[in-house]
Amino acid sequence: MIEGVPGRAARWIHEAVRHGFWRPILRLHRLKPRGWVSLWAIGILLFAAFWFGCRSHLQDNRLVVGMELSYPPFEMTDARGTPSGVSVDLAYSLGEYLGRDIVIENIPFDGLIPALKTGKIDVVISSMTATEERRSSIDFSEPYVRTGLSLLVGVQSDIRSIGDVDRPGKTVAVKKGTTGHAYAARHLLSARLLVLDKETACVLEVIQGKADAFIYDQMSIYRNWRRNRETTRPVLEAFQEEFWAMGVRRGNEPLLGRINEFLKVFRQSGGFDRLAERYLAEERETFHRLGTRFIF
Amino acid sequence: MNRLKRFILLESFPGDSASPRWPAVAGNLTLSFLILVSLFYVAFSQVTYQWAWGSVARYWYKFVYGWGVTVGISFLALAASLVVGLAFALAQRSRILILRYFSKMYVEVVRGTPLLVQILIFFYVVAESLQVRNRYVVGVLILAFFSAAYICEIIRGGIESVGRSQIDSARAVGLTRTQTYRYVIFPQAIRQILPSLTGQWVSLIKDSSLLSIISIREFTLNAQEVNAFTYSAFESYLPLAVGYLLLTLPISMWTRRLERKYRFET
Repeated sequence: MIEGVPGRAARWIHEAVRHGFWRPILRLHRLKPRGWVSLWAIGILLFAAFWFGCRSHLQDNRLVVGMELSYPPFEMTDARGTPSGVSVDLAYSLGEYLGRDIVIENIPFDGLIPALKTGKIDVVISSMTATEERRSSIDFSEPYVRTGLSLLVGVQSDIRSIGDVDRPGKTVAVKKGTTGHAYAARHLLSARLLVLDKETACVLEVIQGKADAFIYDQMSIYRNWRRNRETTRPVLEAFQEEFWAMGVRRGNEPLLGRINEFLKVFRQSGGFDRLAERYLAEERETFHRLGTRFIF
Repeated sequence: MNRLKRFILLESFPGDSASPRWPAVAGNLTLSFLILVSLFYVAFSQVTYQWAWGSVARYWYKFVYGWGVTVGISFLALAASLVVGLAFALAQRSRILILRYFSKMYVEVVRGTPLLVQILIFFYVVAESLQVRNRYVVGVLILAFFSAAYICEIIRGGIESVGRSQIDSARAVGLTRTQTYRYVIFPQAIRQILPSLTGQWVSLIKDSSLLSIISIREFTLNAQEVNAFTYSAFESYLPLAVGYLLLTLPISMWTRRLERKYRFET
């Protein structure tokens, strides 16, 4: 016979298992005061552990960065699954400047702003365009990339500009939640809109002729054309200029100020040139040759 | 103590079709509803979230349109999957061996792979090679064939649960194979089949949300678009949940009525 509280707890569990739970629960009214105290103590301890466990990332020094790791060469993963790319390097440089550890969260693009708003991440560094609509939800840093929207069309297509796309009978593919999606929904009122989850699906639709054009940013259109030279053609002149910036929660002024300082310092020390050298060397050369402005 | 027991517990043995008295029903139903609501309330109040219903309300038409498309697609897929599922179930029990094996293989492959993969392969490879371009047709077909595999197994289980003595008696009386199926096996099999079948239908309605990845403008895609435009995740997705509930609850209630109707002793 085990004596004391552990013994009684074990017998209680045994009876519950054997006779069903309601009988021992109904007999709890016979529990002595110290029994109730220990029950409450256990409950409070569990709750506190849970509570502090959940809030831990707010108290320590980590900066949680959200990005969608499916946007090479800015946000991608290497062969083993660790995040890599321009934005990842930028995030780690930011962490060095701020003196904080960086944790990278892989979140689908259209879930980044909700994640920021609910506090799951602290900053968004995901090649996100700073638009007026988004500014009503979150705050943006100073821009660090200047780019624009371009088109990817089928190799047989005769589309030369965005005006050729906005016709009845034309189909446009866009990636959900991007500025291409917003532009198409607002301005392309005659064409049919195909909203897809993934960039690769959009390109596939253009290749198979199900879509006449894919609206996306200049750099990615160029890279997708390079991968599919025989089946697609890029229309690289940007028809809408865009700036990428980092996003922080509304009202997070201190972090925003520090990020802007960091961007200034990073640019002056040639950080962006190093990033271009490492990830975008070929693109930079091609853009210089074509006379198009490069992004940094 | 007894009064408490009468309120909290159901007085019956498994197999009885007892129902509780109305005070117990009303009291316990409201209590469980309140618990559920307060759980949600506590969870949501912990999250520092600024609700913005106004910007989402502007897109009400998208929600209604999407809901309509989901209803249409689910209904068509449901009907088609019943027919195809029945065909495969009968094929699995057929005397022609190739039908048996083909049906078995089909069921294993379809049940064992994710619907996402099936949608992508079916649409971008199979339908493309057959030159079927219309997304909605392809979507309904994919859903129908996916669900048919599950329905085939459900029907087969129901058929095989009919006692051997029934089939033997039918043979003894002189019924042909078709007549046995029609007059002896199916009426009894329906009892077994109905609960799982309607469960599968509810599942089908929810699985139709996956068709959004090939840009079929159904309910989920529209809610996701509203989320993309307004950056309000909860305000976009909660109506989505309510909309699906509106579709699935009537099916569950209709099931219960059907089950009671077919509840005869064997």
